[in-house]
Amino acid sequence: MELTLSALLHMLLFPGGVFALGAGLLLKGVDRRVQARLQRRVGPPLLQPFLDLAKLAAKETLVPETANRTAFLAAPLIGLTGMAVAAALIPVPGAYSGMPEMGDMLVLFYLLPLPAIALMVGGSASSSPFGALGFSREMGLMLAYEIPLLAVLLAVAMKAGAAVGAGPALSLTVVVGHQMAAGQFGFSPAMLPALAAYLLFLPGTLGVPPFDVPEAESEIVEGPLLEYSGPALGFFHLASALKTMVVLGLGVDMFFPTPLPGGALVNVCWFLAKCLALMLVSLTVARAATGRFRPDQAFTFFLKYPAPLALASLALAWMGF
Amino acid sequence: MHPMNAFKKLAVRSPWLFRINAGSCNGCDVELVATACIPRFDVERLGCRYCGSPRHADIVLITGPLNLRIRDKVLRVWDEVPEPKVAVAVGICPISGGVFRGGYTIDGPMDRYLPIDVNVPGCPPRPQAILEGVLKAREVWLSRMGA
Repeated sequence: MELTLSALLHMLLFPGGVFALGAGLLLKGVDRRVQARLQRRVGPPLLQPFLDLAKLAAKETLVPETANRTAFLAAPLIGLTGMAVAAALIPVPGAYSGMPEMGDMLVLFYLLPLPAIALMVGGSASSSPFGALGFSREMGLMLAYEIPLLAVLLAVAMKAGAAVGAGPALSLTVVVGHQMAAGQFGFSPAMLPALAAYLLFLPGTLGVPPFDVPEAESEIVEGPLLEYSGPALGFFHLASALKTMVVLGLGVDMFFPTPLPGGALVNVCWFLAKCLALMLVSLTVARAATGRFRPDQAFTFFLKYPAPLALASLALAWMGF
Repeated sequence: MHPMNAFKKLAVRSPWLFRINAGSCNGCDVELVATACIPRFDVERLGCRYCGSPRHADIVLITGPLNLRIRDKVLRVWDEVPEPKVAVAVGICPISGGVFRGGYTIDGPMDRYLPIDVNVPGCPPRPQAILEGVLKAREVWLSRMGA
């Protein structure tokens, strides 16, 4: 598959790159504001994530003497580029039908861990013992939450594929198209456990409390991010904003993709509204109401609850419900 | 307005705070926690965030009289903070030694060793005073960036 100009534009402008960055940062601003209001605080301005980035751009980047300079500075870019490509694979129903020829849900499954891997590379390249601690925690957490994610993706693919009559439909374009014709998976009883598993997976993959064990600032002083400052830290924040957009968009596409009658602009707004709703339910409320799990509690949580839920949906979809 | 100056004015609206306890009795530190955790004061409304790493900090809040044992560690942590940075001394101890004044372990006042930009006196200072100190530090920060 050659890299065409339109594919490149999809990665850099819409729905990846600029659009996903802007939307992701805005969602994070809303998240912080709503979280503050839930705790009866005033909270930061809505555009605070943009202000944070402006500030980070104006600071100096320090590299520890003992660090591996190349790996330390390249790590944030790994996560950022991986997520820019992933964002281009997410269809925006009614406005953008995705790039099925560039990659399906399996490609997304391989792209999604990239920010976490970037954190691990950066943390270990920084030569800080806290970076190494963060590395092992990030690794353990990732192995735990990938299992429910894979089961959810397979359940969705199986359900969409069963209707078409072929094996599992891994293309997100087909998944979205099937739901537009046959009803959304979010309202299908067999898929409800998968939806619940996905909602529990979101705070884990985004490192949001109670699953922020790899960056726990009060115990291992931000872990892998400890030694990062200035623009390099800003790149990690950009990658995190993009990843927020990608996983929320993936959730919308898998469970609530039906567009509104109307133009592309209406449907982009509708898509963002659904992402916002998903974020408020799964991230903001959890973050405002919980503390932080111990690492072992966080790891076993994903194997105890989301994994069986997702597997239940997979079994139901396989049996044809 | 020059676009670069407008950019700097936006940048200072995200002051990330880092606490250094230089031998404090913890009273001022509790008041710092109050600025973050008590809804009425909520330091996050100024765009602030308490961060765990000195590398992420813009405004450093220092409490305590600076005793001999901790002096070198405080100076080391201060050097870890990337430029441009601002130092705020919280409480009376960094200024005069407070109740510890004259003690054989005390190596203060703080500005013998660190370029303190803003003093927030009090034993401990009220959270409102600390918030005002952070706002003053923001102005110092802006002038330090040359806007």
